[in-house]
Amino acid sequence: MAGGRANGLRWTLLVGLPLAAVLLAVPTLVSDAFWLGLGITVLLWAALATAWNISAGLAGGLSLGHAAYVGVGAYTATLLFLRLGISPWLGLLVGAALAGALGAAIGAITFRLRGPFFVLATLAFGIVVHIAAVNWRGLTRGAAGLLLPFRGGPQNMLFANIEPYWYIGLGLLALTLGVTVAIRWSRLGYFLVALREDEDAARSLGVRVVRSKVAASAISAALTACGGAFYATYIQYIDPSSTTQFEISVQIALVAIVGGLGTTLGPTLGAVVVVPLAEVLRAWLGGGPALMLYGLTLIVIVLAAPHGLLGVMQRLAARLRSRARRLEAPQEGGRRA
Amino acid sequence: MQLTLQILVNGLLLGGLYALLAVGLTLIFGVLRVVNFAHAEFMMLGMFGVFWVWRTTGLDPYLATLAVTPAILLLGILCDRLIIQRTIGAPEVTVVFATLGLSILLQNAVLTLWTADIRSVTTAYSGMVLTPFGLRVSVPMLISFVVAMLGAAGLWLFLTRTLYGKAIQAVAQNREAAALMGIDVRRIYLWTFSVAVAAAGTMGGLIAPLFTIYPRVGMSYIVTVFVIVVLGGLGSVPGAVLAALLVGLIEAAAGFLFGAAWAELSYFLIFLAVLIARPQGFFGRRGAEVFAGR
Repeated sequence: MAGGRANGLRWTLLVGLPLAAVLLAVPTLVSDAFWLGLGITVLLWAALATAWNISAGLAGGLSLGHAAYVGVGAYTATLLFLRLGISPWLGLLVGAALAGALGAAIGAITFRLRGPFFVLATLAFGIVVHIAAVNWRGLTRGAAGLLLPFRGGPQNMLFANIEPYWYIGLGLLALTLGVTVAIRWSRLGYFLVALREDEDAARSLGVRVVRSKVAASAISAALTACGGAFYATYIQYIDPSSTTQFEISVQIALVAIVGGLGTTLGPTLGAVVVVPLAEVLRAWLGGGPALMLYGLTLIVIVLAAPHGLLGVMQRLAARLRSRARRLEAPQEGGRRA
Repeated sequence: MQLTLQILVNGLLLGGLYALLAVGLTLIFGVLRVVNFAHAEFMMLGMFGVFWVWRTTGLDPYLATLAVTPAILLLGILCDRLIIQRTIGAPEVTVVFATLGLSILLQNAVLTLWTADIRSVTTAYSGMVLTPFGLRVSVPMLISFVVAMLGAAGLWLFLTRTLYGKAIQAVAQNREAAALMGIDVRRIYLWTFSVAVAAAGTMGGLIAPLFTIYPRVGMSYIVTVFVIVVLGGLGSVPGAVLAALLVGLIEAAAGFLFGAAWAELSYFLIFLAVLIARPQGFFGRRGAEVFAGR
């Protein structure tokens, strides 16, 4: 494992540093607000999908209720700012804590459920939160939504131009990726992999089932809520249909699955591919046909490549490598003869 | 007293609408071990199909239902061949998200064909009401209730009294053992899936004169029907019917007492409680809830 880590470090230095430099320079390179806005949307979905992947990919619980945590983050940050004047930065932390507690509770009551039953339980949970967001009008103003009063400034996480949101989004994605890597290298990460592969065997070897699943669910929920709070300050208007709706849960899952479920960088790759593609298709074909293609893509990906685009790329790379090796081998034999 | 009876009747009729959907979904769930997220989309297709036939030819909606059902059966066969069969033995993510993708695909195909406008089928009997003992009973509601109950009873008799039905039950119990006994498992899957979704299409046709028709109409049913299937127990036909009637009653009673939002909230909370306390449902076999995929 130490070799893997050293290898990972070398990769980080070789690819990561130049990439980080380019990413930091994007707002100065891209002056067009449309493209930068698209970039920020990619970052947001990448962060949400990466957060979902901690619960779904690492812990093996395919949640269809993550929009609930987006909603908790978005509404907590907005309401604290709106009602009490508390900075959304602090609101983001409070929202993450609330969602984390909620995620832990959901993790604790669903940990025994397997397969479709887990999916349905998270789905029902997400719908309960959505119904609450729509109908608890005294708090959320229901379908009318909430507008963040614009009192700009870094202390309020509200800016008149969108460049700062690029950096916040980048920070959010870095945070979710960092947490994912930290989990993978920790005891919890190995526990989760063992549980995902064979729960009964893992349990018999002393893996703490409940604690591991609850931790993964809570961390995933807290990070998702951070994404929700970021969304609220970026768009500066929230309503149930853009935060807690079932479709949001599906979309988060779709991005992660297209990229590569259970891999560190898969969900990010998924966002980089899916978000701009969806934008282009919508402009080109209109909403209905674009979503049709969305559904078709989901079907084809899960049937033909359940490990996502990253899995396809890895398989191609492995094949190329083995072919290169095969090409080398006969030449050596030839020289010897 | 009168009011209580009226709520009871409304609840049972509403539950009847759910029953045939739930029976189909529970069979797919129990036999194929596939969570069919697209199930209510076939009902939506039935509604749109009947609307389209009625609009273009003026045919009575009930006769149109007879024409639309075989079309949906064919579509079910196609979906099974192209998608469902390929998910068997695949990782869980494939099983869950393939039907979710199918649901998005069908919804938006209809959206593209007929736009998001709200449609309705109006007939002379749409608003017809019977008044036995001073109760108000909608005639089209009663018709769809009766058909749903007959359909469910017929399916149950088929499953328990015929050899083919018993073969389906055998596959539900143990796929490998059934295959070893010479049962063609793929054929069983094909017919279970396509007949179940055709039943959903029939239900859609029957309720077309009752409710507004729009591409996302399935969304408001599918989760409720999942609640029913889990309450009734995986793969249990009588369980699904009883749970459907129960959910209909809960919805009608809670809707009257606390408003529609609370009605929905109430059975989701019951659902979560049941999932946690008794995941095999009220009528299911213990252990049936364990995922049999890879």
